[in-house]
Amino acid sequence: MTALVLGFGLLLTGCAQSAPATEQSSASATSTTAQQGTQAQALTTSDTWAKAAETGMSAAFGKLHNSADYPVELHQVTDAQGDEIQLHEMAGSGQDMSMKQLEGDLVIAPGAEVELAPGGNHLMFMDLKEPLVAAQSITLNLEFSDGSSTTVDFPIRNFDGAKENYDEHAGH
Amino acid sequence: MSTQDTSLPRRLLLGSTAAAAAGGLLTGFGAGSLRSAQATTQIPATELGYRSFYGQYQSGIIDAQQEHAVFIGWDMRWREGSKNQSKKQQVQALLQMISDDAARLMSGRGVLADTEPEMAQPPSELTLTVGLGQSLLDVIGQGTVGSMPAFANDELEEQYQQSDLLIQFCSQDPTVLHHAVRAVSKNLRQLTTRRFVQTGFMRTMPGADTFRNLFGQVDGVNNPADQAREQAVFGEGSWIPNGTTLALRRFEMDLDRWDEVDVTGRDFALGRRQSDGSPLSGTSVNDPVDLTAENELGLPRIAANAHVALAKPGHGGETIHRRGYNFDDGQHAGLLFASYQSDPRSSFIPVQHRLAAADALNTWLKPVGSALYAILPGVDEGGYVGQQLFS
Repeated sequence: MTALVLGFGLLLTGCAQSAPATEQSSASATSTTAQQGTQAQALTTSDTWAKAAETGMSAAFGKLHNSADYPVELHQVTDAQGDEIQLHEMAGSGQDMSMKQLEGDLVIAPGAEVELAPGGNHLMFMDLKEPLVAAQSITLNLEFSDGSSTTVDFPIRNFDGAKENYDEHAGH
Repeated sequence: MSTQDTSLPRRLLLGSTAAAAAGGLLTGFGAGSLRSAQATTQIPATELGYRSFYGQYQSGIIDAQQEHAVFIGWDMRWREGSKNQSKKQQVQALLQMISDDAARLMSGRGVLADTEPEMAQPPSELTLTVGLGQSLLDVIGQGTVGSMPAFANDELEEQYQQSDLLIQFCSQDPTVLHHAVRAVSKNLRQLTTRRFVQTGFMRTMPGADTFRNLFGQVDGVNNPADQAREQAVFGEGSWIPNGTTLALRRFEMDLDRWDEVDVTGRDFALGRRQSDGSPLSGTSVNDPVDLTAENELGLPRIAANAHVALAKPGHGGETIHRRGYNFDDGQHAGLLFASYQSDPRSSFIPVQHRLAAADALNTWLKPVGSALYAILPGVDEGGYVGQQLFS
């Protein structure tokens, strides 16, 4: 398990959107494998973006909303350039919060929204095979526990935060 | 102000989404009338300050002028390499990103990856207006506006000359403006280098479109209004439908030497009175500039080389819409001249040649910056600025 310790309080507040964000339903539910009643069908996304980076690690963020009356379980994320992309979550509380690879799926409860944000849950590129260049976007394939999948565009932006020092050699 | 504003919101409303934005638009165009009791009683304060990013034209051109502005010029840093996009694709991606940023900021939201989205509220009439130099039109392969010619008295400094890309940021609130500039600039890092940042300020005089420039003069008199303004900016001769051009010139004022000139000499050089902006051929600010008017001695009341005599449009096609600002960068102060016109070759450029050759005010003016931009057409809902050039 990759893990690290961070002071999360400040980071979290920094990510809060103060203004009411208009829901921008992405093309997420239009994948070929998406069918009526699938988890892919239930997902809407907004404010998705990925952090620009030439090499090494990076991360992707956004709001994932479950519009269905059943849970959505994000199982795996892939991209066309074959990057290893992990789902990361926060664990612990107070001063002892840490970031680690999610055990199992990222579950979005019926009607709920999960925000992936710097200092919070996020999608982690472990070692980029190609640069992520600002103003371009990267398409991620989101695969769910019921076998359905969908693609979501993540515009790439410059961001100096999210410099968490992931220790790849930390024990799981 | 209020009469000419009424024709504008309805058209631009067509492109707006939220009811809040619609309410904001109305107030946005009433910036000049915000001080009137009517405007403040009819519109809740919570809805003040929104202008739409979407519409037939870009905002920040013929709508009411905001009090604070930052003009930023960037040059492209092309990304080389086989895996990367063509230059044209890089420009397209850049314009898409800027559009996303502008739409968010003008609606009071932070941009993607914004570290201070709270500062976007309330947007306070924020507008971002995007223009391209001829260099980028050439990369795209469409459109011709040309470049700014040299003028007789130019003393240009490299940093204030033509850039590839320009964004005019305007707002009533300099803090909101600063956040918008920084948010957009962060996203443009690595893709561009910044050539100039030109910051300006002005305050419209009560009940008018005019403001005091740093010479003390009433500036903006005789600017076209209403349909005449729209015609001058977007009418015949425009390089693209619903687009226009921006002439951006930076004039340093020699205020120490201006101090030495008595008011009679100042009025004579301008052709208007410093006191109230009235032409020397009349008695009130809105009186026409009459170059044939004579005094008791049979001499012209307005000298042939007075600023207003040379600046006066020779014909309707020379009309420009001025949207300039005062500047004081700590070293120099002056006028950040900005004018919008459909075809600069038949309007701004010939007028500026006349002024450069003979304007009596040239004694105290030093042009250090000069650039010409193709201002892109308005943006359809969900589209991006400049999209017309890529289809």
